[in-house]
Amino acid sequence: MSQDIVTRLKTDAAYWARGNRFGDFSPGQSFTHHWGRTITEGDNTTFSILTMHYNPRYTNAEFARAEGHPDTPVNPLLVFNTVFGLTVEDCSEGGGPFLGVDDLDYGVPVYPGDTVYADSETIDSRESEKRPDFGIVTWATRGVNQRGEEVIRFRRTNLVRKAR
Amino acid sequence: MDVAARTSANNYFEDFQPGQVIRHARGKTVTEMDNVLITNMVMNTAEAHFNAHRMQGGQGHGVFNDRVVFGGINLSMVIGLAAQDTAEQAVREVGMTNIRLKHPVYHGDTLYAFSEVLEVADGDDPKTGVVTFRHYGINQDDKLCVMADRRVALKRRG
Repeated sequence: MSQDIVTRLKTDAAYWARGNRFGDFSPGQSFTHHWGRTITEGDNTTFSILTMHYNPRYTNAEFARAEGHPDTPVNPLLVFNTVFGLTVEDCSEGGGPFLGVDDLDYGVPVYPGDTVYADSETIDSRESEKRPDFGIVTWATRGVNQRGEEVIRFRRTNLVRKAR
Repeated sequence: MDVAARTSANNYFEDFQPGQVIRHARGKTVTEMDNVLITNMVMNTAEAHFNAHRMQGGQGHGVFNDRVVFGGINLSMVIGLAAQDTAEQAVREVGMTNIRLKHPVYHGDTLYAFSEVLEVADGDDPKTGVVTFRHYGINQDDKLCVMADRRVALKRRG
């Protein structure tokens, strides 16, 4: 009985695919990435301790206040990872290793409770000489907070699979 | 609070000169917990980081045969390992460039961090200076996994 259900599901279900392939990218196109993310104090502490990032301003509220911050600022590497994470479905989920990032600049600090959003523009798309099944795509990504203030910008390059 | 008493005495702006190369204390074995927790925390939707069934079933597109650690975590782990020495006195992270993921990191691999001072410059105010570090992360087999140039404003000892 259960096996019949599984068989029917695997035969009849329409797969709602996510992610783009190399052929979907062309310079000048822009993406308003999904969701946004409110970064919490728990996120900041968890990320900073797992990466052993021993700058006390991210893990000691008294220290942060003594340095003139209203609260513990969010570790900028968490801001980077979060903004990057939000871009993945549109840009790189379709497959291929992340090669590098250039020209990353941080904007205004992020504090727990702030919400970050990500937008990207495709700025380059070319063939890979080493891997003919992949292309190389570069995007300019920008992260903003709930007030529209820029928190980060960077250019990211990935291998992107051609096959569906 | 006395913030200076809670941080090291040897990692102010004046302690860094171009050409210096530092091998940082401690390495970290990157676990499934680190990778899946942080990948999911930042809502990175790429299954290569969290679907073992798919990756072990030959669907890693001929590039990977198992879940691979998200490159943003490799970068963050290496800068984390370098942070006590190069970020404890940071007043502002300015930016990064030349971030390169050179070799994949899998669950159970161990990362070690090294840093090289590329440049030192005056800061926006007389109490700080900006140091450009090139950070390197190598694994247990001496493979270079990640490198990145990072600009950071550090306190001057004064």
